[in-house]
Amino acid sequence: MRIVVAYKWTCDPEEATARPDGTVDWSRAKPGLSTYDPVAMELARRLAEEAGAELVGVTVGAKGVGAPIASKAALGRGLDRVVIVEDESLREAGRSELAAVVAEVIRHIGDVDLVITGDSSVDVAAKMVPTVLAGELGWPAVAEVTSVTGQAGALRVERAIPGGVQVLQISGPAVLAASADAAAPRVPGMKELLAAARKPVELLDLTALKVPPAGAVMTVTGRARPERKARKGQLIDTTDPAAAAAELVAALRAAGAL
Amino acid sequence: MDFDLTDEQQLIREAVREFAQTEVAPKAAEIDRDHRFPSEFLARMAELNIMGMPYPEKFGGAGADNVSYVLAAEEIARACATTSVVLLAHASLATFPVYKFGTDAQQDRYLHDMASGRRLGAFALTEPGAGTDAGAGTTTATLKGDEYVLNGSKIFITNAPFAEIYIVFAKTDPAQGTRGMSAFIVERDTPGFSVGEAEHKLGIRGSSTPPLYFADCHIPQDALLGGEGDGFKIAMQTLDGGRIGIAAQAVGIAQGALDAAAAYAKERVQFGKPIAALQAIQWMIADMATQLDAARLLTYRAAWCEDNGRPYGTEGAMAKLFASETATRVCDRAIQVHGGYGFTESYPVERNYRDAKITELYEGTSEVQRMVIARSYLR
Repeated sequence: MRIVVAYKWTCDPEEATARPDGTVDWSRAKPGLSTYDPVAMELARRLAEEAGAELVGVTVGAKGVGAPIASKAALGRGLDRVVIVEDESLREAGRSELAAVVAEVIRHIGDVDLVITGDSSVDVAAKMVPTVLAGELGWPAVAEVTSVTGQAGALRVERAIPGGVQVLQISGPAVLAASADAAAPRVPGMKELLAAARKPVELLDLTALKVPPAGAVMTVTGRARPERKARKGQLIDTTDPAAAAAELVAALRAAGAL
Repeated sequence: MDFDLTDEQQLIREAVREFAQTEVAPKAAEIDRDHRFPSEFLARMAELNIMGMPYPEKFGGAGADNVSYVLAAEEIARACATTSVVLLAHASLATFPVYKFGTDAQQDRYLHDMASGRRLGAFALTEPGAGTDAGAGTTTATLKGDEYVLNGSKIFITNAPFAEIYIVFAKTDPAQGTRGMSAFIVERDTPGFSVGEAEHKLGIRGSSTPPLYFADCHIPQDALLGGEGDGFKIAMQTLDGGRIGIAAQAVGIAQGALDAAAAYAKERVQFGKPIAALQAIQWMIADMATQLDAARLLTYRAAWCEDNGRPYGTEGAMAKLFASETATRVCDRAIQVHGGYGFTESYPVERNYRDAKITELYEGTSEVQRMVIARSYLR
């Protein structure tokens, strides 16, 4: 079986700071694997350990995603090899455009039985790439996946739904987005990390891939915080606990909370 | 000059930090309070190939460099000083002599098990009457036929009785002083070898450091490590590297205390604002951070020297001396930042303070480090 894990090499917004003028300072943020991608790698590893599979990492993006440390970080988490498209023209690419590139990479790799991605990226969190990717490939897309077992052509997928778990049987290749808490990624061992440098890294040329041009273009035009309700600021004198309790209950009832 | 870590060193540091913060840190207070040997972390560190990190893969180690090993020790110490000393005593003190001085047969028999973490090691040099004056040991090893017979005692032996393999230093020729000392590999459960009562300590309370007793303990002749009379040299060379690990431990303990102090200062409100807004606190944090960074750089530099075939005895001594004294100072200031709360068990800094002190004492007191450093300047 051949499993592709699509991962992202990017900066965590938690490490960015806001300047007094409101702009974002990323200078102290160090890039790393997007927070939920190791969860996807863990699910892939478990399936590979059970069914026997080649684990291929795929990442596409602007300059930096092909840095040796990025590949080693991914390979050190159990992938057998990685295939990368690193092109500065992708820096401002929309999610659909990136998904189209990933789809071409998957066609280039060939004989892929399954794609697993993280829940969403730590910096953009659009939750679009897995779905658009599946569309490009003509495969089912399933999100909130908590486990995947079985083998190529007969995958058994568990998916979190409100109030429980849904079990799916999938008879062919699919794109699965692992839920953020599907698994605790295992800590990489020292030998694994040191062996990462010896594993194959394939860099593909974007223009040679002949990715079809993007369709609709989507841009984020605004963000807003939810409106803050004005607080009542009602103070209750607690000198007499019994009276205070009665007053509190009455106030909560009046506010419709009880 | 390149101050960057390599890719591997960065990834190793992140992975060990993940292990230390998610698995070890939550148990550190309990390990200290219950004086509990952290066997579960021994097993985890073995699984993660940390127990024999700097030893070649062919011997069961991870084949990492000493800088990586130091980064790992620092991250673990930041979470739990006890767990870090179990690792350091095993990897730097017990495994190193077998790696450096062992015969093929001895390495076949012990090194793979030790470097992989399957069997724990201990280093038995110190005696009741021989601490800083390590050459004054009175434990003897007398050759009788094809066996050595050990008689004497050791004190403060980290990892006993959990360790299965002990590097024991004993006088084969007491009349020769330090030149009459030899090193032996002794297995636990050898008749005549027993372990005494646990020592109750100020800090690293989960680390087991009992005395050892040798009463007509017969060991095979091939238990001799190196040649007769090589013992003191083996001990000193081993400690040269070991003290770089202790420097890393000191840096880690101090970093944990500094992290706690900075977090507390941002939360604690007095006079209507977080105390982090007060210059007195800011200056304390600035001094702590600067001295800690200096200690860290000395430590990495010593490990780099070892990795690059440079002499590292003086560099290691400087790192250990400065890092240990910095750690006690930083932990003292960390309690000061916390005020009265820092004196209680509800906050981790009192444990950091108690743990830090040992770094000024073991693997050569600060006085020994000063002797080593002075000697290289005043020769």
